[in-house]
Amino acid sequence: MIYLDNAATTRPDGDAFLRAAQFCNENFYNPSARYSGGFAVHTKLDGARESILRWIADPAAFDLVFTAGGTEADNQAVFSGARRGNAVTTAGEHSAVERSFTELKNRGVEPRFAPLHADGSVDAEKLLSLVDEKTSFVSVVHVNNETGAVNDIFAIAKAVKQKNPRAVFHSDGVQAFGKLPVRLTQEIDLYSVSAHKIGGLKGTGALFKRRQLALPPLIFGGGQENTLRSGTENVLGILDFSYAAERQFSALAENYARVKGLRAMFWEKLDKSLFTLLSPQDGSPYILTVSAEGARGEVLQRMLFDAGVAVGTGSACSSKNRFSRILRACGHSESVLDGVLRVSFSRETAEEEVSAAAELFNGIAKKYKSRV
Amino acid sequence: MEKVIILRYAEIHLKGKNRGYFERMLSMNLEKSLKGLRHELHRTSGRWLVEKFEEGREGEIAGRVSKVFGVHSYSVGLLTGSELDEIYAAAKLVAPQSGSFKVETHRGYKKYPLTSPEISAAIGGRLLAGNPNLKVDVHAPDSVVYIDVREHGSALVFGEFGAGAGGMPVGSAGKGLLMISGGIDSPVAGYMMAKRGLTVELLHFHSYPYTNDGAKEKVVTLSKLLSPYTQVTRLTTVSVTRIQEEIHAKCANELNVTLLRRFMFRIAERLARERGYQCLITGESLGQVASQTMEGMTSSNAVVTLPVLRPLVGFDKDEIIERAKAIGTYETSILPYEDCCTVFLPEFPATKPKLSFVEEEEGKLDVEKLVCEAMQTAETIAF
Repeated sequence: MIYLDNAATTRPDGDAFLRAAQFCNENFYNPSARYSGGFAVHTKLDGARESILRWIADPAAFDLVFTAGGTEADNQAVFSGARRGNAVTTAGEHSAVERSFTELKNRGVEPRFAPLHADGSVDAEKLLSLVDEKTSFVSVVHVNNETGAVNDIFAIAKAVKQKNPRAVFHSDGVQAFGKLPVRLTQEIDLYSVSAHKIGGLKGTGALFKRRQLALPPLIFGGGQENTLRSGTENVLGILDFSYAAERQFSALAENYARVKGLRAMFWEKLDKSLFTLLSPQDGSPYILTVSAEGARGEVLQRMLFDAGVAVGTGSACSSKNRFSRILRACGHSESVLDGVLRVSFSRETAEEEVSAAAELFNGIAKKYKSRV
Repeated sequence: MEKVIILRYAEIHLKGKNRGYFERMLSMNLEKSLKGLRHELHRTSGRWLVEKFEEGREGEIAGRVSKVFGVHSYSVGLLTGSELDEIYAAAKLVAPQSGSFKVETHRGYKKYPLTSPEISAAIGGRLLAGNPNLKVDVHAPDSVVYIDVREHGSALVFGEFGAGAGGMPVGSAGKGLLMISGGIDSPVAGYMMAKRGLTVELLHFHSYPYTNDGAKEKVVTLSKLLSPYTQVTRLTTVSVTRIQEEIHAKCANELNVTLLRRFMFRIAERLARERGYQCLITGESLGQVASQTMEGMTSSNAVVTLPVLRPLVGFDKDEIIERAKAIGTYETSILPYEDCCTVFLPEFPATKPKLSFVEEEEGKLDVEKLVCEAMQTAETIAF
């Protein structure tokens, strides 16, 4: 199987998993236990925390709260940060942020959504115009998970803070973490990441938090994670996350350049009479979204999987939610939305795989169009 | 004293010399429905008793047997000795805590020293004396305590009647093949034919990769939801992808569905003959969609000789939905998986296709080859 659905999840890093599993097998103690065995696990967790922190932030200025995934980190950010007035986000957010914003309405906070450019990036000017003195929270996705468009969250955060220094700024960094060079600045209050998008395990994520920022918890209980996220820590997932991140970050720049080449090559090889490009040229190299206009993306996706390539899609054959909310917000027509396929790469993707996949894309789209 | 469940037949009592056959069928189906639960099933004068089950599981057992066709009603009751004191002890447990009541006695054992009204009076009087919140009302009581004095010194005491599924025992009326789409109607159609005693097996058509595995999974779920009633054990799936593609490529667009249905009927009949089913069953309802018009049904019937049963033909959608909800298939049926991808659906399907035009268009296809190819894709899932 040629696996090109890495924005959905990645193949777990085997070495990272073995290292983490071995530790957990020998050190199963509860990290909160007050005997030395428990303390050793606690120390190990803090080591993992610091190691992950260092990759994109200054550990003196930021904390890291482990969560049960990117969705929880986003929920924590939104519900802890947006407590009054209004909250501003983009029309290009992952459902974890988008649905949370919709829920804010029921909690007395007015959600505001800024429109997107055709490539999926937010219209920053319009976003800023939605921010006022009553804005308590702003959330802007770093890399759009459906088009790969990159938002300049640092510039946006700075502008937001100039307009309203009290607004908490959050960014969903799930598709950027370990893929794009990132250094969190003081304007970024919160930043969510997920382990399984970089070779870690599903069910593990984290929220970067600026140290000075005081947040109420989302989950109450035994007071773990500095009272911000109660529940016995997922030691296996967290250690595995730190080892996977180690591997991912140690070659970030080389991978970035290589994957950028693969992405360009893939697009180069696609038959332009069959496919149109929806991703921006300067987007994340890890995501390439195209549309086989007039075809059904979901059907192509199954045909491709049966032919040996796994890719993502932006459409569903079902009548409910047939089209991607985000791509619709980019302003595409229904026939374009119907035919969406998302190709997403990883550091493991090989050149031969990319060219073989492009051939299959052309062949299958042609076959589909001849039959339907 | 022991908790038992009393089951009464539905229509079987109308049957004369065949009664034994129907009773054996029902008995077999009851046993099937109680598989995995410790119990004993005994037939006594015109009804069944489920005995010797684990304490506290009477609700589960009643739930299962109430779905077996042929059961008219059931009661959870107490089996006790026929001495008045024993009957009273049971009646006290069955009787309501307050309100009006009466006692009704049936005396199957005619040598019992008291007559039925005497037993009712004796037990009723004691119940009344023992609970000041009760009063007797023989005309319109809130509740009734039933006493059934049987031979061999035993008696049954019970209160409420629960409704059974009614109908005839599944298997007593032959075998049929239900074409199940995943929508709301076909499970109800299967339910209704099983209710009349037909053994129903299922056939589902899919058009993978135009439809997804979710659609198939949904039909499997529906089959499992139906099985307490129909006791279905097998579902066969057949791919009609090639057929849809061929029709789409070669025939008049407005006939896509009409032609596809003719293929489905042919495949269904072939499978039915191979496996000894005597009829086809569909969930069609006259005029519900373009293909379910008189002309549409005529066009489908023209390619088969087995009888096609359409138990919902005179039902409104609302009536079908109501039944689907009652059987418990509705929530699954409305899950958003398409049984037939809309890519092949014409914008304006023919509502009154002329048979001659349909046959002419179909003449452009190698029907036999396509049917044979489709038959090759048949997969049977046993539950």
